[in-house]
Amino acid sequence: MDNKVSMYVVRESGLHSLHPLTKSLMVICLFIAGFILPYQWISYYLFIFIIIPLAIWGKILGDLLKAVWKVSLPIAISVLIIQSLFWGEGTALFEMWGLSPKKEGLIFALTSIGRIILTMSDLMLFTMTVRPDFLMISLKQIGMPSSLAYIVVTTLQIVPSFQRKASTILDAQRSRGLETEGSIITRAKALVPIILPLVVGSLVEVEERAIAIEARAFNSTKNETSIIEIPDTVLQKNIRRVLIIVIIACVIFGILWRS
Amino acid sequence: MFENIKKDFTTRTLVLMPIAIAINIAIGQLVYLLKLPIYLDSIGTVLVGAIAGPWAGALTGALSNLLWGVLPVVTNTFAVPFFYVALVIGLLAGYFGRLGVFEKESPRWLSVLIGAVFFFTLTFFITAFLNLNTDETGYTTYPTPTDLFSRYLIVFIIAILVGAAVGYFLLQKGGYAGLAGLATGLIAAIISAPTAAVVFGGVTGGGTDLLVAAFRASGAPIIGSVMAQGSVSDPFDKMLSFMVVWLILRYLPARFKAR
Amino acid sequence: MAFVNIHNLTYQYPLTKTPVLQNINLQINQGEFVAVVGPNGAGKSTLCYALAGFVPHFFKGEISGTIEVAGIESSKSTLDEWVLNVGLAFQNPFNQISGAKYTVFEEIAFGLENIGLPREQMKGRVEEAMKLTGITELADRSPYSLSGGQQQRVALTSILVMQPKLLVLDEPTSQMDPIGTREVFSTIRKMAEDGMTVVLGEHKVEWIANFADRVIALKDGQILLEGKPNEVLTSDLLAQNGFGISRYTSTAREAKKQGLWKKDSLPVTLDEAVEGFRNA
Repeated sequence: MDNKVSMYVVRESGLHSLHPLTKSLMVICLFIAGFILPYQWISYYLFIFIIIPLAIWGKILGDLLKAVWKVSLPIAISVLIIQSLFWGEGTALFEMWGLSPKKEGLIFALTSIGRIILTMSDLMLFTMTVRPDFLMISLKQIGMPSSLAYIVVTTLQIVPSFQRKASTILDAQRSRGLETEGSIITRAKALVPIILPLVVGSLVEVEERAIAIEARAFNSTKNETSIIEIPDTVLQKNIRRVLIIVIIACVIFGILWRS
Repeated sequence: MFENIKKDFTTRTLVLMPIAIAINIAIGQLVYLLKLPIYLDSIGTVLVGAIAGPWAGALTGALSNLLWGVLPVVTNTFAVPFFYVALVIGLLAGYFGRLGVFEKESPRWLSVLIGAVFFFTLTFFITAFLNLNTDETGYTTYPTPTDLFSRYLIVFIIAILVGAAVGYFLLQKGGYAGLAGLATGLIAAIISAPTAAVVFGGVTGGGTDLLVAAFRASGAPIIGSVMAQGSVSDPFDKMLSFMVVWLILRYLPARFKAR
Repeated sequence: MAFVNIHNLTYQYPLTKTPVLQNINLQINQGEFVAVVGPNGAGKSTLCYALAGFVPHFFKGEISGTIEVAGIESSKSTLDEWVLNVGLAFQNPFNQISGAKYTVFEEIAFGLENIGLPREQMKGRVEEAMKLTGITELADRSPYSLSGGQQQRVALTSILVMQPKLLVLDEPTSQMDPIGTREVFSTIRKMAEDGMTVVLGEHKVEWIANFADRVIALKDGQILLEGKPNEVLTSDLLAQNGFGISRYTSTAREAKKQGLWKKDSLPVTLDEAVEGFRNA
């Protein structure tokens, strides 16, 4: 796989060799537990005690932390500042320069940040160790329609080329004098000469691409086979069953706790 | 029922969908980089809804947001939880498409009217939120209309004039599409507010944050401020998106509009 | 009974006013290499689509007449069955990549997966097909990282792996650079020499003159002329009707008027021209 079409990190590791569905269920389980279980700081616990060890097992700790940091930091700062300073009524922590951050706001911010970190790292764990096409193949094996698989993988592959197309159109228009900086009106006007060529140009390709896949029997009614075999083990099958039970248990527990 | 849904998904439609999702992402990213206070990340979704029907539109919207979270591009892992909003946008685009809004020309006066009414309503909501009061028992009191008009009369008049101009110049004969977009945008804003409030406390790092901070600073409670951000950005954004699609479909030869 | 038999074919695309093909009658024998030439709008692509079954199954529209390959009529078959008989490749290599696969190897297997071939058989067929078209070293590459010429060869391989009885190619080198063109033509030539029945829509007359068994000249949806390449490609009829003529042909035609070209027949390729002028 020599194309960067998803955040998959090519590496040999125990985590990488797990079946895609096993990893999917793990990720879902962590997400649900973090959001449904009624413990204040559970997102941080899950992150530190489960996600980080898994990342180490998958040899992606560095990549994961970098990605999570990159996305979470600006958000964390904004949330922290905005929520603690503009909370409204609450216990002030201190007063400085006329601003008084509130304790409730700070706690709300930290809880939010915890959830953001959990979500990000969970997602990264998944996308960095699961090949999208392998995931699609395993989903097809449990009954997902193959047209959905086609859409997902194709989207992942052509988005980079689309962004290049958009960039090319942007540069071409700029070289013809299009202004992309300045007032909001200027910037807004820059959109039209980019959007229209991009969209119209793409619609024209649809017909040929449809013919191309039909020429490969895309609409065949026969049962599909797969040239790639995805390794699976009995142990993993059992783990998946356990994970499903855990997920359901969390959901029930969470609902009962709240009522 | 499933047979009807399946009919929406011809080969052409399946081929169109990845392209539409890529369009969503390419344009959405462009707008983000230009720091404009809109999203324009649904043009592809609306296009699919208009050409291929509500179910294809819905799936395109949902997948756009979900896949955006796993692509190695700048921004928008935060689009993921809003997948259901994008789904509804695609669905509505499809139904409006069946009503013909993307094919008909509206009289100019209708566009002017729509613009004026929209900006008037917008101003009304913004001023109302800015003037929420909480009395001693903790109830929120809303200012009365006469109250607002007397204090902000000039603002309202300006809003109506600006709205009329926007309608005349921007919407032109696409009034029906614009109206459909407005309606969709309003619905999108309403159904996205709870998620935004719960997940991030309303901060996503894009151009709309400043609006939220502004509302926050005025003391409006959290759901209110997210709603206000949504009501400023979403309906206008969707109105624009529907307009762009109307424009494209009007000038595209029939052959490329086939489902 | 000819291998490919088109009988009285008239076809009109939906929402158009005139038929794009009118009363086409064409027979092709197994193993023949037939080239179709004609100006833009003559109906070359439509003829290719008709042989491949997309006319009428994909495009709908109004059709009369029959298209028969190996004894089966296209109208009596479904498209996904017909594509197993007739393979189609066209101009734009990028659009022929499915997008659903991350490596060339899997991309080529895509068609075989769709028809449900068992895994053990697929591997062998894919490797064989790649050897035939000379792209074995590209197996682990992403289809999107290839050059235009390479992508077109992958597209060809993806079609050939399905073992069609007839191969239809609609201007496969129009969007290639010279290297890509050479690569693609040499692959096609190899297919033809191995016995594949080929229909090739092309503008590049010099190449056709060397390798085609027969040339069909199409204009305004009708067959203007058909016969051996050297006869058809140098005929005055083609020159009069706006066909792309080899520059060697037009040069020699002018030379003939001035008595500088002594042979009866005009050249199409550089070699023929050199030989003809040398012996003058």
